[in-house]
Amino acid sequence: MTGAFAQIAARSRQSFSNLLRRVPTGADGVARVGARQIYILPTRTGLMFGTVLMVMLLGSLNYQNNLGLLFTFFLASVGLVAMHHAWFNLLGLAVQVRGGPPVFAGETATFEVTLRAEGQRPRHDIQLRKDADAPPPVHVPDGDQRLVSLGLPAARRGRLRIKDLMIETRHPMQLFRAWCYVATDAATLVYPLPARQAPEPGHDAGDARRPHRTRGEGAEDYVGSRGYRHGDSPRHIDWKAYARERGLFVKQYGGDQGQEVWIDWSRLSAPDPEIRLGLLTRQVLDADAANVRFGLRLPGVVEGLAQGQAHTQRCLTRLALFDDTHATDSIH
Amino acid sequence: MIPTQPIPSIERPDAAQTLWLSLLVLAAALPLTPYLHWQVSAFLLFLFVIRLAGLRWHTALPGTWIRALLTLAGVANCLHANHSLVGQDGGTALFVTMLALKLLELGSKRDLRLVAILLGFLIVIQFLFDQSLPLTLYLGVMAVGAVAMLVDLNGGLGEARLRSTLRIAASLSLQALPLTLVLFVLFPRLNAPLWSLGVDTTKGLTGMSDSMEPGAISELVVNGELAFRVRFDRPPPNPNQLYWRGPVLWEMDGRRWSPGDLPAGSSAAPLVESGNLIDYEILLEPSGKRWLFALDLPLDTPDESSLDADFQLLSRQSLTAVKRYRMRSALDYRTAEPDARERERGLQLPDNITPRMRALADEWRTRSASDAELVRQGLAFFNREAFHYTLLPPRLGANPSDEFLFETRSGFCEHYASSFALLMRTAGIPARIVLGYLGGEANAIGGYQMVWQSDAHAWVEVLLDGQGWVRVDPTAAVDPSRIDNRSASQLIGGGTSVRFDLAQASALAQFARNLRLLADTLDATWQNWVLDFSAKDQFALLERLGFGGLREYGLVVLMVLAVSLTLGLILLALLRDRTQPDPLDAHYARFCQRLARAGLPRRPSEGPSDFGQRVMTQRPDLTPPVSRFLALYIPARFGPRQSRETIGLLASQLRGFRPHR
Repeated sequence: MTGAFAQIAARSRQSFSNLLRRVPTGADGVARVGARQIYILPTRTGLMFGTVLMVMLLGSLNYQNNLGLLFTFFLASVGLVAMHHAWFNLLGLAVQVRGGPPVFAGETATFEVTLRAEGQRPRHDIQLRKDADAPPPVHVPDGDQRLVSLGLPAARRGRLRIKDLMIETRHPMQLFRAWCYVATDAATLVYPLPARQAPEPGHDAGDARRPHRTRGEGAEDYVGSRGYRHGDSPRHIDWKAYARERGLFVKQYGGDQGQEVWIDWSRLSAPDPEIRLGLLTRQVLDADAANVRFGLRLPGVVEGLAQGQAHTQRCLTRLALFDDTHATDSIH
Repeated sequence: MIPTQPIPSIERPDAAQTLWLSLLVLAAALPLTPYLHWQVSAFLLFLFVIRLAGLRWHTALPGTWIRALLTLAGVANCLHANHSLVGQDGGTALFVTMLALKLLELGSKRDLRLVAILLGFLIVIQFLFDQSLPLTLYLGVMAVGAVAMLVDLNGGLGEARLRSTLRIAASLSLQALPLTLVLFVLFPRLNAPLWSLGVDTTKGLTGMSDSMEPGAISELVVNGELAFRVRFDRPPPNPNQLYWRGPVLWEMDGRRWSPGDLPAGSSAAPLVESGNLIDYEILLEPSGKRWLFALDLPLDTPDESSLDADFQLLSRQSLTAVKRYRMRSALDYRTAEPDARERERGLQLPDNITPRMRALADEWRTRSASDAELVRQGLAFFNREAFHYTLLPPRLGANPSDEFLFETRSGFCEHYASSFALLMRTAGIPARIVLGYLGGEANAIGGYQMVWQSDAHAWVEVLLDGQGWVRVDPTAAVDPSRIDNRSASQLIGGGTSVRFDLAQASALAQFARNLRLLADTLDATWQNWVLDFSAKDQFALLERLGFGGLREYGLVVLMVLAVSLTLGLILLALLRDRTQPDPLDAHYARFCQRLARAGLPRRPSEGPSDFGQRVMTQRPDLTPPVSRFLALYIPARFGPRQSRETIGLLASQLRGFRPHR
């Protein structure tokens, strides 16, 4: 029963969403707010203003007080003009949305929104809003631009798109709220959430909790440290240095140099493809941290043996965008 | 004080906003102080002091409990001061007190917004007390201040916040003005109030009373306020013909004249003769009374009024607002013969007629052959004997008429009219007193006459056989050399009473007078076009536009159309792209234009350097100026930056560049 309701609600939301007019992004990647895409409604302040004006109007009419009427009409006119100013404040605003740097699932993806006031007039009180995140409103001087970053929780791997970015303004008197939706293709890449631990690549270890990399740990030669990067295995962190309050460093071992590892989808036995991808991600990060040459084999995709940050990112991108339909094929 | 809910930082007002709003409320409430009870004003002052102290020392602000107590105290204070929380005084005091209390509770921007919006209400309330132009202008500034406050509270204005706020508030207000005008002119008005909340409109009104005793008129004369304005259709008559007729008094109790009981349902008998007709319009200030003044003798009856047997114009209701009416009067007239009862009323005498008054009247009677002759005798008496005309007469005792006639001999028009009428009655001629105004001050700037309370006057009408009621002004009989101008100018204060002949000769006085006339013209325009604008004027306007038959519906339709049109125009003005051409492009365009005039038009496909090459090969004589111009223009146009100097140089290059064919 509730399911049916939820379905109806979802469907009506969908059809309502289809009815919304959105600001299209032009060929140059910039969305310019058009007249027909702006919505406008009074705010709570606006309703309060209207109520007080009604009382003033009734009183002045009743007492045939022309000056009371004059001032009531003046404030009402200011309200009407303000409504047009709110609309006008959004009209023609150029918006460019870009995805931010890749993040891991569960983190916050950022989007960079450039607001540009083309032409001769400044834009006041422009606020971006997407779900819960609403960075403070900005002022864009005429002919200038402002960069606003917007954070969005990255729940799932893949490309996180920001479908409808709401841009709103309450300029000039907060009596009316004008807003529009910007449709944009901007996306931020979301890598899969790395598993906490992963078996040694090359070993078919069904038990992911088994202590990792038991073989030849002592044989690795410590070659130096570098600063902590996101995704580094906690096992390589130089805890002693951290305890001395020097900051987070990661020990680098050179012992594996020349070693080659294949990180392979088919060597893992976790049934859920997402868990498998998490394990693979951890393996890629570990391999990168250990500075070994590694390759990635996914059903239908092979990333050859290589080393370095670019390679790691390529592999992570493969994992992020991996299509599960292939996976089911290849397992059986 | 711990707020129940944390206020997000963006909603927290800064100290400057709180300060400005508090000052705005203080400034907007200031003109109300004369109308508030001193207790209420004192409480308000106390609240403002706490508010301002709270800005400096945050702990000075009262907590929730103290605020609740203060609220109770405020209500009790209002109740004690006005004995009411409703009505004009009680309601206003309560509202202002509550608004000031709200100032102690400005936690979030929402509170500030509420106060800024309620400022509008505070402004409108004040017009119940005072509707003058200066107050309106002052409160107009306050209204724009409230708009600016709301703009600033919304924020998002960038660095130059104050400047942006003021600029935006000014542009909003200016753009709202045409719309305001349209709404004001076309918004349908109510003809009668829907409800009444006890607004006392007769308070503080001055006007002629309907009785006369010694000192009554001189009190009015010293008042110095405007009584009414008159606009004559044709050049106005002589000032000494301007007798503005008001109440007619029949009964004298020895000291005080009063109208007496008028036979019910009496109406003015048609005039036997009337000539020298004159048309005019009167804008009568509210007096709280029912008298409508008109030139002696009124022929018309304005709406909502009646003309009775004594030719008094009476409005159906007390005049609490400015009244405008058109009138026609006859300067020359002869009234019909009254009946015996009226004659009887005109001969009643009080019981304090002294023997010497009787002797005087008898003496006139024996010396004259007719009633008209007797009247002339009476006037000659006032002229011949040492009667003085002054605004500061000596005090009179129990029998003022006798004392005035034979002892003090100095008085004001009321003394002259009263004693003259009594003497006429004693001599057997029916007489009555008429109160009104005499004369008027011409306002050349406005093209109308102003009649002041200082022009208040009393005169006598006597009934002569074959002539009906005839106006006699005993005051005018006084020898001009015995008129006390000094006391008048002292008391009236630079007035221009006809009777006192207060001439102002000096240039400064003339200048001051002109200023006063200008101010009155403004005030009259204000009265006529703003305060007095009514449904009648709206329908007249509609009539002129040819939609007269549509009445209210026509107004509504016209209003909607006009508002839409005005908004459309404002929007168009907003939308007009305000891009100015780049100065560099403008100079290049001028350069090309001049070469085109010389027969060398630039082809659309040509860039500046190709065009320059072609010009120089076709017209080698133009090589130096063209190459100089382009040497400046091309790097500026396509180079990394353009400086102001480059543009100046280009302009100087162009100045002398006038190629011929």
